[in-house]
Amino acid sequence: MEKVIDEFDKDQRELIHLLHEIQKQFGYIPAHMISQIARQLKISESEIFGVLTFYKAFTLKPRGKHLITICMGTACHVRGAPKILDEFKRELSIEPGETSGDNLFTLETVNCVGACALGPIVIINGDYHGQMKTREVDKLIKICRQKNGKR
Amino acid sequence: MKIIIDGKELEVEGKKTILNIAQENDIFIPSLCDHPRLAPFGGCRLCIVEIKGRKNYAPSCCTYADDGMEIKTKTPRLQRLRREILELILSEHPNACLICSEKENCDDYKSTIRKVGETTGCVLCSNNGRCELQDIVETQQIEQVKFPSFYRDFEVKKSDPFFDRNYNLCILCGRCVRICHEVRGASAIAFVNRGSQTVVGTVLDLPLLDSGCQFCGACVDVCPTGALTERAIKYEMLPEETKKSVCPLCSAGCELKIDLMGGKILGSKPSEDGAVNRGQACVKGRFIIRDLVYSPRRILKPLIRANKKLEEVSWEEALDFVTRRLKKYKGKEIALITSPQLSCEDNYLFQKFARERLKTENIGSSYSFSPLAVYHEMSQKNQLGLALNFKIRDISKAKVIFLLGEDLAVSHPLIWLEVLEAVKNGAKLIVASPNELPLNRFSSLWLQIKPGSEFHLLSFLSRILIENGGAGRLSRIEEFDSFKNSLNKLDISQVFEITGITEKELIKTARLLLEEEPAAFLFGMGLTQHPWGSQNVAALQNLALQTQAQLFPLGLENNLRGLFEVGRNYPDKGLAFNKIIQGASSGDIKALYLAGPMPYLNKAKLEFLVLQDCYINENFELADAVLPATTFAETEGTFINEEGRVQRFKKVVEPVGDAKPDWWVISQLACKMGNKGFNYKDVSGIMKEMSKVIPGFSNISYLKLENGKEIFIRDEKKRRKSFIPLKDNGPLYKTSKKYPYLLFVDYSLDYYRSLPLGRESLGLRKIRDSRWIKISPEDAKKLKLDEGESLRVESSSGSFNGFVKIIESMPKGTISTSLLWSEDSDFSAVSFFTGFFQEENALGMLPVKIKRGK
Ligand code: SF4
Ligand code: SF4
Ligand code: SF4
Ligand code: SF4
Ligand code: FES
Ligand code: FES
Repeated sequence: MEKVIDEFDKDQRELIHLLHEIQKQFGYIPAHMISQIARQLKISESEIFGVLTFYKAFTLKPRGKHLITICMGTACHVRGAPKILDEFKRELSIEPGETSGDNLFTLETVNCVGACALGPIVIINGDYHGQMKTREVDKLIKICRQKNGKR
Repeated sequence: MKIIIDGKELEVEGKKTILNIAQENDIFIPSLCDHPRLAPFGGCRLCIVEIKGRKNYAPSCCTYADDGMEIKTKTPRLQRLRREILELILSEHPNACLICSEKENCDDYKSTIRKVGETTGCVLCSNNGRCELQDIVETQQIEQVKFPSFYRDFEVKKSDPFFDRNYNLCILCGRCVRICHEVRGASAIAFVNRGSQTVVGTVLDLPLLDSGCQFCGACVDVCPTGALTERAIKYEMLPEETKKSVCPLCSAGCELKIDLMGGKILGSKPSEDGAVNRGQACVKGRFIIRDLVYSPRRILKPLIRANKKLEEVSWEEALDFVTRRLKKYKGKEIALITSPQLSCEDNYLFQKFARERLKTENIGSSYSFSPLAVYHEMSQKNQLGLALNFKIRDISKAKVIFLLGEDLAVSHPLIWLEVLEAVKNGAKLIVASPNELPLNRFSSLWLQIKPGSEFHLLSFLSRILIENGGAGRLSRIEEFDSFKNSLNKLDISQVFEITGITEKELIKTARLLLEEEPAAFLFGMGLTQHPWGSQNVAALQNLALQTQAQLFPLGLENNLRGLFEVGRNYPDKGLAFNKIIQGASSGDIKALYLAGPMPYLNKAKLEFLVLQDCYINENFELADAVLPATTFAETEGTFINEEGRVQRFKKVVEPVGDAKPDWWVISQLACKMGNKGFNYKDVSGIMKEMSKVIPGFSNISYLKLENGKEIFIRDEKKRRKSFIPLKDNGPLYKTSKKYPYLLFVDYSLDYYRSLPLGRESLGLRKIRDSRWIKISPEDAKKLKLDEGESLRVESSSGSFNGFVKIIESMPKGTISTSLLWSEDSDFSAVSFFTGFFQEENALGMLPVKIKRGK
């Protein structure tokens, strides 16, 4: 871990870049790394915390293999996003922001991803699924599970 | 340039925001996030104005005035918009009371209902009546809040010392975050999350104790709402009265505003117009003053020992008793200890009393091992006449700052703010210290030197500078050649090993020191504590000559300078502090008069001990007479701070019990022992006399001070520029198999007279407990020590107890503890004093061993 941090210049402007690198390598920002980042970049731990909670891209909890993001923006909302979300919550038994016990799924919500015309939108591992229907939820989850050899 | 605000033509000079100009000219523009000590932010938008020729509304707090600007601050449209903005803010803030039509009468009818956990309106809020938000709402005539109300329902954070944080009341103005970052350099708090979720918080929502907070209270003072409130006054009434005083808890001497209720102190805050502190203070001045005045340890009545027991008596009896007993001893058998925390007037009377009545020159104090003493002595010995006065504000103008070994944010909080300001203006900060200090993250270079190796570091820096061609201009300065020769004699081969600093770092330091001007060198006990402290200071002064730097000696106590100026008026010196202690143990000193801190005297062979103090301490049990003295808040006089600034302080409250001012006690005794020269009615008579007999005080007058004139004590006149040839002071501290660890002392002034502040303030004890023995994680692991475990430290000259505190930044092989005079003697490193006082003005470091348990 130290290696990732050490490769960075002692320059505060590098913070976001460094957080990205850590997020990429570990899938999340391990809390104990905050103090190491603080020492390397010479900023306070609370400041780092402020930055990393500002951006949705960074998480403090490990993420599952499959990141499911549901758009809750206005357009998607009126087109039934809450129902889609409920369905995912029910199927996976987790709340938004949580990761399933088997570490396979993480559920998240965002506000508008700029594809309103296709709403409601669900993004799974970067792939957009437009005009989602509740009955398709189960299918999408199954596909993910199959990729991991589980039924 | 000229601008027009609301039809009024105004002449403006310099770069100023519209809001500033309006405020200066008594034109009211509502504002919530702006603050005079902070950079413009533009967060709340309440301060919007219309500027002719501009389409949008401009926030006046971050719009700078331009020539010819025409500004309107009160158009109906602006008023409507402002009300809307305020209503938006209020929709997330308990607002029932704010808009209640009965609020005028409410105070008369409500009983005490403030002691509830949740604040749902002003009447339940500790900020009621002193709230900026309340005031602003009042000016905007808000009658209803059109938006749906929302209560954020955060848990109130109560686990930290001194203040609570209730972010349900927060309006996200950002003042706290900004003052913590911009002014204090702590950045313990930040905006966390985004959008509607935004809240002020700490890393991982940890307590402030674990987030680098200094507990300076600056955030509490700038918060315009009741979100941040001091716990001690939470349920108190509003103060009836506020008086000014000067904080006696470090050498800065912050001006404080003391809030009073029924003649008692409620709390203390930094004064915005304090010349030294400009609205800032530190944990001690902000949160501890009340505790130290009303400590249950205060001595309330005079006591004398009769039939082996201390008994309460009247002042008259006590003074007679002391007079009678003191008369039995000859001059040399008597010694006095005074304190640099007492006023100039008190200290003058002590000197006069000692010499004229007791006929002794034995008058000592902790001054003798202060940085000021070492610095001045070095300057005298080499006939340099170096300046002792400086201006704290000059530090902020430096471009290079070299800091030696002080944890400024703790030992000199106000100096730290100036250093931070310099760094923010682009100054390069170089820190030489064995342990990693929190402020190191602002440094361009941290030299992690081995403890006690400053001399080598400094002299080799001098050598590098000379070798790299800096000699030309310097060679004309006196003693250059002998200085150069002395440097050449130093053994270069071992410098990297002795200091622990690499050649690359040394060269980088030398380059940084030369790069820019002006340079400021800051040093304190960290540099002067060693037996070879005066060589250290000489080496620093040489380096300062080479780099044209100004030296800033940083003492600890508030009136160190005053005590020094009084003392130097008396050329013949008696025994110094350490010799007095030795004399007391050997029996050469038979009578001791204590008005200043002193280690536990259980081994002393004294016949008569007088204790004149505010607090019961361990020497109380040994005393033959105890005279209750007032604290600074109960008396008046002058202090001289580290800059040389004369500070007048006045009585704020009546003394507790029968306590009397120190000057009064001394003059009464003196009158009983003789009939001339001590008839003072008040302190002004003493100062008048001082200004006549002590040259340094000749320009001081109460009248001028009261009229707001800045007076600095007279400083050295005959300056001489000269190098000082250096002498290698031989090997550093040596540990041995028997005593494998090196103990050094943390210099933070956490005591007032004989009261260790942490004893009265549990909050301070949580931040820095004087019973902590700090140790590195490596050593703790090696010895299998856990945090909080009891520990015993032994040296060849004594032992004391403490508790393990594991500190990441402690260098391996060293431990440190705080220097307190009179903590519980079991827990006081001062019990080592014979070991510490290797020389007259050095405490040094000690090889010790450590053992688990008591
Ligand atoms: S913070 Fe001010 S406005 Fe808000 S409830 Fe308290 S007193 Fe009222
Ligand atoms: S008390 Fe001082 S250091 Fe702590 S959060 Fe407030 S401003 Fe920052
Ligand atoms: S806590 Fe106070 S100062 Fe800080 S953002 Fe909230 S209202 Fe402003
Ligand atoms: S201890 Fe020093 S910095 Fe703190 S308030 Fe007192 S004078 Fe100011
Ligand atoms: S609202 Fe979902 S994409 Fe815009
Ligand atoms: S005071 Fe100007 S935006 Fe807040």
